[in-house]
Amino acid sequence: MRVFVSGLRKLVGRPASFVSVGLLVGLLGLILIAAATVGQNGSGRNAENAKALLTFPGAYDLILSFMFGLGGLVAVIYGAAIAGSEWSWGTLKNAVARGESRARYMLTTFAAIVVMLAVGLAITFVAGLGLALFSATIAGISTAGVSDADTLQRLPALAARGWFAVVEQASLGFAIATLARSQLAGIGAGIAFYFGETFARIFLPDIIKYMPFAVAQASINTGSGPAAGGGGGGGFIDPLPADTALVLVGVWLVGSLLVTVLFTERAEITG
Amino acid sequence: MTSPGALALATRGLRKSYGSRLALDGLDLSVPSGVVYGFLGPNGAGKTTTMRLLTGLLHPDAGSIELLGRPFTRGDRKRLFDVGALVESPSFYPYLSGRQNLQALAADGAPVPRGRVEELLELVGLRERATDKVSGYSLGMKQRLGIAGALLSDPKLLLLDEPANGLDPAGIVAMRETLRRLAASGKTVFVSSHLLAEVQVLADVVGIIARGRLVREGSLDELLTDQGVVRVRVSSGDLAVARATLEAIAPVEGSAEAPPDGGADRWLMVHAEPSRAAEVNRALAGAGIYASGLESGTDLELLFLELTGGEPSSEGVMQGIGQPAQRDAAQAAASGASGEPGAPGA
Repeated sequence: MRVFVSGLRKLVGRPASFVSVGLLVGLLGLILIAAATVGQNGSGRNAENAKALLTFPGAYDLILSFMFGLGGLVAVIYGAAIAGSEWSWGTLKNAVARGESRARYMLTTFAAIVVMLAVGLAITFVAGLGLALFSATIAGISTAGVSDADTLQRLPALAARGWFAVVEQASLGFAIATLARSQLAGIGAGIAFYFGETFARIFLPDIIKYMPFAVAQASINTGSGPAAGGGGGGGFIDPLPADTALVLVGVWLVGSLLVTVLFTERAEITG
Repeated sequence: MTSPGALALATRGLRKSYGSRLALDGLDLSVPSGVVYGFLGPNGAGKTTTMRLLTGLLHPDAGSIELLGRPFTRGDRKRLFDVGALVESPSFYPYLSGRQNLQALAADGAPVPRGRVEELLELVGLRERATDKVSGYSLGMKQRLGIAGALLSDPKLLLLDEPANGLDPAGIVAMRETLRRLAASGKTVFVSSHLLAEVQVLADVVGIIARGRLVREGSLDELLTDQGVVRVRVSSGDLAVARATLEAIAPVEGSAEAPPDGGADRWLMVHAEPSRAAEVNRALAGAGIYASGLESGTDLELLFLELTGGEPSSEGVMQGIGQPAQRDAAQAAASGASGEPGAPGA
């Protein structure tokens, strides 16, 4: 427990945590303000589209799509940054030399990441909701739909699925950086993997739909309520059913953590 | 030699390769309890590899390790609960303060008593800067924080890799006093270093490693018994006669060394006990030669170079004075932390 609490404390004070949430909230804010500006000052179809984005309960769709779409990429980078720095900074070496279990250390570090992701997504959602309400108000759009009972009822399950998908994507970054034994290489390889899979959807759609980012995206598309999910290139593949995808998200998550633990246990720590 | 039961650390036939390169080739270490053990070796000799194996960072290809009288094998991580280590350069989270880093470290491995972090910050002189981020620390401050980290669990065995790195002279003296105090309280301190003078003033027992093998191990006094040197400075014209005269007393080093001031004189090195300096001087005077300089001492560097097959440094070989009574001079030499030789003892 003390290793987990310590891991959490380390992440709370870490600039990467603030930057990740700040990036998500900042970009979401820019999109919402831009939509409000177009909706208020524009005319024709563009203005109508912009207003539609800000109209509740549909605005929930925009917020969640953004959170679980770009949030997935941010999670890959965040997971890679945390795991990679343990090798790059030599702090894993300190823990091992003190007799700490390598597997437990890495798993508790990831558990702390899971908590931080939940907090980060919650902050992004609340901030996004506030910004959406503000943007709708300045665009002169009614916010009555914000309390749409049907949508609010579905939100918790959707948020849980989205969080699980983001966690899986963070675990990939975590595993990749562990294999790379480097923060920079881990982040680079994580980003390359994310976009590589996205582009590969064009050429190998039947295979890619089982890959980690595709299943993460598919697991959120429940078809009921706001259709969240992100990432580019989604239109090229026939996504798996959401529940099947959710199971595969779990498989990828467990697989990533298994790779991380096995590699760390066997690794010769020379840095 | 100490009986096996009293060994704080022992390795037998320890082997480790990195690909085709053999780093350790059957290392046998015997570190008695309650001493400061100086682990000496040139760069690439296998010191850091040994430290990594002793702390479980690497796994040996063959051989065994005993920590505090019990075998230390792969997966037996709890053996390290009684061991404190500073391996290579100290590693920290740069965005956390010194105190937060120690608290984070204290959460791993062996339990740490409440208040220990503050106690150690005081001990290493970082209390005033405890709330500053480590990214703003100097190398010496990081080194002191690393030593504090190694002491967190009040270990019975302390493994320190080049602990004097980056420390200023006052920091080196303080570190040395702390380590001596720990040894006096019954703890064992294993110090890996390439700073001969530092080891000479700090260690009770020395192990010298070269090409992955232990080439000599024993108490410092034992090792230095045969390492006495008397140097005499004579004019170039008298060199041949002086050499012949001194050869009758003790072996003389083959080449005569030019003095750093660039004069016409030469230094001759006689392998004799320092107590025979007067005899050397008398023999020269008897031959009508008057030495313009005379120095004596015992030298770990000579032994080190002899055992490791290294070349003498350009500054000469008489950098440290190993006799216990003369250690103050060597302390002054060691305080430089740069490894530069100090002035020869007169």
